[in-house]
Amino acid sequence: MAEVRLENVTKAFGNLTVIPDLSLTVPDKSFTVLVGPSGCGKSTLLRLIAGLEKPTSGAIRIGGDDVTRAEPSKRGISMVFQSYALYPHMSVARNIDFGLRISNVPKEERERRLNEAARILALEDYLDRKPAELSGGQRQRVAIGRSIVRNPKVFLFDEPLSNLDAALRAQMRVELAELHQSIASTMIYVTHDQVEAMTLADQIVVMNKGRIEQIGTPMDLYDKPASVFVAGFIGSPKMNLMPGKAIGRPDIPTVGIRPEDVEVTEGDGWETKARVVETLGSDTIAHVRVEDVGEMTVRLPGHIRLNDGDRLKLRADPARQHHFDADGRRMEGQTA
Amino acid sequence: MSEVSTSPNAAPGLSERLRRAAQNGRLTATLILLPPALILFTLFVMLPLGESGVYAFYDWNGYGAPEDFVGFRNFEQMFGHSVFSVAAGNTVKIVIVSLLVQLPLALLLALLIYKKTPTNAAFRLIFFVPYIMAEVAAGLIWSFVFDGNYGVTASIANSLGIDRFFVLADRELAFYAVMVVIVWKYFGFHMMIYIAALQGVPDDQVEAAQIEGASRRQIVRHVQIPHIRPAIAVSVFFSIIGALQVFDVIIPLTNGGPSNQTHTIVTYLYEFGLTRLRIGFGSAVGVVLFIVAVLVAVFYQRIFMRRANP
Ligand SMILES: Nc1ncnc2c1ncn2[C@@H]1O[C@H](COP(=O)(O)OP(=O)(O)OP(=O)(O)O)[C@@H](O)[C@H]1O
Ligand SMILES: [Mg+2]
Repeated sequence: MAEVRLENVTKAFGNLTVIPDLSLTVPDKSFTVLVGPSGCGKSTLLRLIAGLEKPTSGAIRIGGDDVTRAEPSKRGISMVFQSYALYPHMSVARNIDFGLRISNVPKEERERRLNEAARILALEDYLDRKPAELSGGQRQRVAIGRSIVRNPKVFLFDEPLSNLDAALRAQMRVELAELHQSIASTMIYVTHDQVEAMTLADQIVVMNKGRIEQIGTPMDLYDKPASVFVAGFIGSPKMNLMPGKAIGRPDIPTVGIRPEDVEVTEGDGWETKARVVETLGSDTIAHVRVEDVGEMTVRLPGHIRLNDGDRLKLRADPARQHHFDADGRRMEGQTA
Repeated sequence: MSEVSTSPNAAPGLSERLRRAAQNGRLTATLILLPPALILFTLFVMLPLGESGVYAFYDWNGYGAPEDFVGFRNFEQMFGHSVFSVAAGNTVKIVIVSLLVQLPLALLLALLIYKKTPTNAAFRLIFFVPYIMAEVAAGLIWSFVFDGNYGVTASIANSLGIDRFFVLADRELAFYAVMVVIVWKYFGFHMMIYIAALQGVPDDQVEAAQIEGASRRQIVRHVQIPHIRPAIAVSVFFSIIGALQVFDVIIPLTNGGPSNQTHTIVTYLYEFGLTRLRIGFGSAVGVVLFIVAVLVAVFYQRIFMRRANP
């Protein structure tokens, strides 16, 4: 059992309150992803859980134990840093079993765990190399290996893939998902990347200015964003947000329409002119200008070929509109 | 001096390289910038060195031209002189104390105050003051401290109710006092080197080690020290070369006494070469010191500095 609970946690650095008051439960064995704009306090939250920062007030429990004041090493967690934080003067093997060595784990046990981790992460051939002699993806795997051998109850990841190129990131994403399936520990994962959040998470926590905007499964957040902020943050390209009067509903302060919920029509619809067209093959993303509405982004099927400046008639699926009140909160029951 | 690499022994493609150097202005820069340095270096370093190498074989008082060629007699006298043995031994002691006491002390303090906080900045400044103080002033201050009649040691003796003691006049104790002052005077320099290096150790490596359960000592040993190894190599080097040349602090403290027990090689040179107007003899001491320093420098660079920068 390694549920992670934060109870009314606040964190201030001097006069700067980074986390005003945050409560969060991360279920046991879940893969929870923290997303939010830069500077919203994701890393700070992760470091609070790790014990690298102490909360200004509030309590942190891991597996039921109050660890608010406990040392990082006593919390049963491990952390993978964005920079990997490998020790440059140690071989890969030494990097991985460093923690076991200093806690005097017997040699056979140490080797067993090292070999197990090396096997899972396909690092067997690199154990004698120094980190400088590895590729970015391999370094990332070493950093993960270092976490695995400690058998932590909770894995913490701070943007672990952000230094990798797109192809490697896609591959590591799959490997991380597999890792989570095979070792079934609680994982808390910070990222900027939409795709990572949507594909890896059981539960996504959207943060904004140190507060939680919404918690839910990826599809919850996609289908029913609780606020304008979440609506704009989850989904790519971003949801189009416009005043209600644009769709003839002046009673609704803000209406959101996802680019993929717009289709080309022959009948009634908006007269638009494509400003920029991005042809991706599978999809065609068009940035269009709509009379009286403004700019919109639409995602059309890939077989529709457009050129910049083309005129087309578009219709938004009325069943898939999102309505928000003047405070930016979701208005329930509006999406029929 | 790196421009020297365009010298004729860089044979293949020399004319090509010269032509390119002429085009991109490097040749001009070399022609303009190299001569002053080369001339100054020759005039003030190479020539005096060569001259003292010559004087070392003369009996010469510094006036007129050296005429009395004596072969190796200056060297024989020097190696036969008991005070020279004491001075050389003292110099070795300074090297040892610098390496075994001063540098660990500097590292310890650096580890305590390397993080950037206002308190640490204040401590850093305080610890650095001895180093920026003039050597003679430092020597004078400590000669007051050690003064058995009026100094700090006198107060200590009084408050303990023991007899007054005169550290700097004691044949056994005087050199220990000198070494205390030397450690005090120069540890700040090495501490600064270590602080700069420690600040370059990425925080997340230290944090990663914390998460893995490393104690403070284990972090120092397994993460921080390996990281600052190049800085340590440099600091050890400075420390040895500096120890070989200790001079200024000794003069106001003991002036080599009592009974010539606290000389170093350089104060020995000064005392028995310069003040007694035996320039030839002094040159011989200088030559020996120079050779030792060069040997240390060359071997040290070969062995340690290279490995430190893979
Ligand atoms: N040690 C610190 N001292 C002072 N302020 C800090 C410290 N650490 C973080 N902050 C501040 O806290 C805020 C949140 O930082 P944090 O690193 O948690 O953001 P983040 O969400 O991880 O951002 P990013 O996505 O850019 O990594 C920022 O405004 C940052 O300047
Ligand atoms: Mg961050």
